[in-house]
Amino acid sequence: MLIFSVFKTLTDQQVTVELKNDLSITGVLKSVDQFLNIRLDNIKVLDEARHPHMMAVKNCFIRGSVVRYVQLPAEHVDTQLLEDATRREALTQVKR
Amino acid sequence: MEDDNSPPPPPEQQPPPPPSHTGSPTDFLKGVVGKRVIVRLTSGVDYRGILSCLDGYMNIALEQTEEHVNGAVTNRYGDAFIRGNNVLYISADEPL
Amino acid sequence: MDPSSSGIQEPFDLIRLSLSERVFVKLRGDRQLTGILHAYDGHMNLILSDVEETIMIVDVDDENVTAGSKTVNVAKRKMDMLFVRGDGVILVSPPSRT
Repeated sequence: MLIFSVFKTLTDQQVTVELKNDLSITGVLKSVDQFLNIRLDNIKVLDEARHPHMMAVKNCFIRGSVVRYVQLPAEHVDTQLLEDATRREALTQVKR
Repeated sequence: MEDDNSPPPPPEQQPPPPPSHTGSPTDFLKGVVGKRVIVRLTSGVDYRGILSCLDGYMNIALEQTEEHVNGAVTNRYGDAFIRGNNVLYISADEPL
Repeated sequence: MDPSSSGIQEPFDLIRLSLSERVFVKLRGDRQLTGILHAYDGHMNLILSDVEETIMIVDVDDENVTAGSKTVNVAKRKMDMLFVRGDGVILVSPPSRT
């Protein structure tokens, strides 16, 4: 839930999603859900020569499970806030 | 292809004698906490160390961990968290 | 629960104690990362900053397979702030306190 919230705070920011098939897509994060499925607008594929079929694609929906990494805009991430929120969530999960 | 004058395969290592007591898998796991263990991952990589603790997903915390690949030490970690889905088995590395 | 040596009761305690520290992460696909840990969850989804990724590209030399000769190429890259999906994580190691 915590990571979902982080992504929600980053909507309308530029991110780069790297998929498990090595495709990297940069775009504006339009929305995210609890599975960390992601909608990107204004997308650009990193290596267009290798993925010519993606050149005409302007926006996309990415299933969360195929994501390897998401590169985030560091200036929009409050690391202290993240660590505190993570500790808080860890506390609630201990009593499983 | 097998080389003709390659040495014969080394004799299979003898498995440690089975524990004298019987019990459930949970009893085994409780018994090995704090003991030296070998954790084998599905990838074939082994981790040898002292089992600090584990949880219901088989997430594992190890201390004084050595990573073994094909019998050779490839890494050492003071502490290591292993994500449970990668675990093939946990084996006691000292008498229980 | 027994209060064992280091006061760690469950594996995630190890990760929690590593928040804001540099950690080593071993991933599927012969990748490893080091970075400063800022967030994680129960899936081992991670958020790291100041990340260096190392990708091991192993080329087994066909003519020397029996000799076990292989060349390992290493690719490295850096990223400022990175979300890592938990399902690719194999191992996380906190900074060594040895």
